Amino acid sequence: MADDGENSVDNKPTDDSKPEKMFTLKKWNAVAMWSWDVECDICAICRVQVMDSCLRCQAENKRDVLGRQDCVVVWGECNHSFHHCCMSLWVKQNNRCPLCQQEWSIQRMGK
Amino acid sequence: MSAAKKYKLMDTTELHDTENIASCLKKGDNGSSNATTGSNLGRSAFAAQNMNSAASTNGERLPNFSKLGSHHGSDMRSASTTSNLLNRMGAIHNTKPGDVKKIVIKNFKAKPTLPDNYSEDTYVKLEEAVIAIQLSKPIKYSLEELYQAVVNMCSHKMDAQLYIKLMELTEQHVKRNIKLKELTGGSMDKLVLLEKINNWWLSFCQQMIMIRSIFLYMDRTYVLQNSSIHSIWDMGLDLFRIHFAQNSVVQKRTVDGLLTLIEKERQGSTVDRGLLKSLVRMLCDLQIYSSAFEEKFLDATNQLYKAESQRKMQELEVPEYLQHVSKRLAEENERLLHYLDSSTKHPLIYNVEKELLAEHLTTILQKGLDSLLEDNRLNDLTLLYGLLSRVKNGTSELCGNFNGYIKKKGRTIVIDPEKDKSMVQDLLDFKDKMDVIVRTCFEHNEKFTNSLREAFEFFINQRANKPAELIAKYVDMKLRSGNKGTTDEELEKTLDKIMVLFRFIHGKDVFEAFYKKDLAKRLLVGKSASVDSEKSMLSKLKQECGGGFTSKLEGMFKDMELSRDVNLAFRGHTLSNDRDVTNLDLTVSILTMGYWPTYAPTEVTMPPQFINPQQIFNKFYLEKHSGRKLQWQPTLGNCVLRAHFDAGPKELMVSLFQALVLLLFNDKPTLSYEEILAATNIEDGELRRTLQSLACGRARVITKTPKGRDIEDRDQFDFNNEFVNKLFRIKINQIQMKETNEEQKATEERVFQDRQYQIDAAIVRIMKMRKTLSHNLLITELFNQLTFPVKPADLKKRIESLIDRDYMERDKDNQNQYNYVA
Repeated sequence: MADDGENSVDNKPTDDSKPEKMFTLKKWNAVAMWSWDVECDICAICRVQVMDSCLRCQAENKRDVLGRQDCVVVWGECNHSFHHCCMSLWVKQNNRCPLCQQEWSIQRMGK
Repeated sequence: MSAAKKYKLMDTTELHDTENIASCLKKGDNGSSNATTGSNLGRSAFAAQNMNSAASTNGERLPNFSKLGSHHGSDMRSASTTSNLLNRMGAIHNTKPGDVKKIVIKNFKAKPTLPDNYSEDTYVKLEEAVIAIQLSKPIKYSLEELYQAVVNMCSHKMDAQLYIKLMELTEQHVKRNIKLKELTGGSMDKLVLLEKINNWWLSFCQQMIMIRSIFLYMDRTYVLQNSSIHSIWDMGLDLFRIHFAQNSVVQKRTVDGLLTLIEKERQGSTVDRGLLKSLVRMLCDLQIYSSAFEEKFLDATNQLYKAESQRKMQELEVPEYLQHVSKRLAEENERLLHYLDSSTKHPLIYNVEKELLAEHLTTILQKGLDSLLEDNRLNDLTLLYGLLSRVKNGTSELCGNFNGYIKKKGRTIVIDPEKDKSMVQDLLDFKDKMDVIVRTCFEHNEKFTNSLREAFEFFINQRANKPAELIAKYVDMKLRSGNKGTTDEELEKTLDKIMVLFRFIHGKDVFEAFYKKDLAKRLLVGKSASVDSEKSMLSKLKQECGGGFTSKLEGMFKDMELSRDVNLAFRGHTLSNDRDVTNLDLTVSILTMGYWPTYAPTEVTMPPQFINPQQIFNKFYLEKHSGRKLQWQPTLGNCVLRAHFDAGPKELMVSLFQALVLLLFNDKPTLSYEEILAATNIEDGELRRTLQSLACGRARVITKTPKGRDIEDRDQFDFNNEFVNKLFRIKINQIQMKETNEEQKATEERVFQDRQYQIDAAIVRIMKMRKTLSHNLLITELFNQLTFPVKPADLKKRIESLIDRDYMERDKDNQNQYNYVA
């Protein structure tokens, strides 16, 4: 986060939280968005955002309400990422990463 | 007495010895006197029967006879009292058993003949009688006598002459009368003439009935045996008709008279309907109704109503005119009921409808329909529909104009940006109003229902995107909490109505984008009125547009549920790890990017009391979900602060930005704008709004110097120790940035971007199914599947792009054909 540097300086006020203070934080309802931790938002194979299902899955309307188990993201050792569906079709033809031509091997899968 | 015997008695009656039937009948009235006199018995079956009953009453009086049975007794009795008759016939009745004697019936020795001058005398007699009847004078002879004379004449083969004679007499009479009418009728008042003719006709009928009664025997024998000859009654009518029809003067006068009378009635005077009815019946009986009367009558009707309708269309407003037409039709129907022949019904009503309605169809609709619809005059509209459905093209014209009105009126609702605030409510009201009209006034006619739908679809898309956006916002307003006072059922009804409007919208994805934005707000702030209603709305949308349309919206609900689980797990995690964050209650809503609207990423400087728990949560979450990253959204979310004022502690419900600003005052009671900006790093405009909400809003927890509504760079802010409020929990509202044009544009742009993906997906979907498809067919299929308007050129671009990406290829032989590439 951007404000990491100020952390150490401002740590004290949190510690000596006394009731006389004008304002005390009681509750925080925060909002955060999750997305795949990828370098490129768009799957190079189907050119759809990796957050969406791949084009073929969209066409088949395969997304179920539980999320996108059917169309997760896969990272190669080269750290390039694609839709798992797209990649599994791709490797049948050519077992190399479409972006860097390295031998394709799965580093991790999104869950 | 057996039937055979009675017959015999009748047959052998001598002609010159006839008895007066009338007197016989008179005696028949009194049974006992008949039985004692007995002189005329046996002349007719009627008399014999009468005697029979009389005898049986006598039998009862004499007990010694009753032993033999009443039947026998009557026989004996009749035998003794009618001895002269029995002697003449030479028949002997058995009075004692065992005494057998045969009855022999012999013919007359000489055939009975008529006196020489009988026929001449009778002719004269009958002629006198007929003329007397025709002149309504008393008849010299008894009717029985005359009847008998006719019977005799017929029996002696003089029936043909008699018939001719009678015909001549009748003809003379008719001629004489008609001449009289012709001569005198001219000077007479029409009404008097009509009455005269009616009287003449009625008395002619009566006379013919009387004459027929006298000549009944001839009617039953001579006429029946000769099929070419008219019965006496028909002969009379025939003669009347011939002479009445031949004499055009009288006929014309009569018909004119009738028409004048009818016109008078149409103009509102009371006329003698009995007279009209009788004369019309006369024309019908004479079978000249249609030739002599009906045509002229219809002509007169047409002319009258043509002139009248033109005049009234000028004079009257359309509703009054319709009332008038309906009154006229009712009158004509009544006329048909009262005196006109029923065969006229169809042409008459048709003509009236034609002159009063069909001829003025366009004028009526153009002049009156819009205002009737505008003023919601249900009764008049019902009348209008009822009347117009009677004439050719009536309903279709009405339907066309109805459609035109909706389009015109609907456009004014939709097109004006100044009316945007009330547009959706206006549309709903308008739809309701039109629905009621179609249902109650137009008999739920399917043509009108479809037309209504078509018109709505047309005008609502006259303005691109805005109606979709406003409908989405309207739903948000209804689904947001604080909308108390409406029950779930009412809400459900409203949603159903909204769905009707939604169906008309072409750019359904625009609706989705705005709906999503509002739904996100409702879910994140927890402001949704009812989960059930939300789900119900979602299922309606799903039903309407399919699962693809709502999957992201459903995903949003799912995210909220998953977040709940994650937060529970997180709480357990922090407790078990015994961390220092327990004094802060942190709840995180984890949203899947892509499901939710995109929020502009902003960076702010947060103090450690936010950063620390945030980092703990980050670590916790990413351990569970590898390959993900979290992006915190400082613009969303809210905090609860405990504040200490002089007047006592308060709890403030504030946004994250408000909290960041307020917490700064813990270290320094007075801060300048620049200081706050530097410390928080909140975006300039956002910060000004935040400060405004805290210092210039309803709950002013900080004060601003100098005072004023706008935040300037050099303003100073102080903690407001004197803050008072009767509530303990105070929500400090954020000042909502007016949805700027840019923001709106951004939403729309996103919609258009999404459309590209949707087009791509649809193309792939279709091609995968069909394998090969010509360009035109593919375009047609796409138009069917896509939920938004799109230009063929754009589709072509997407197809090219998919070809580039090897999803499909052009056929090598046919440039217009595409093949799917697996």
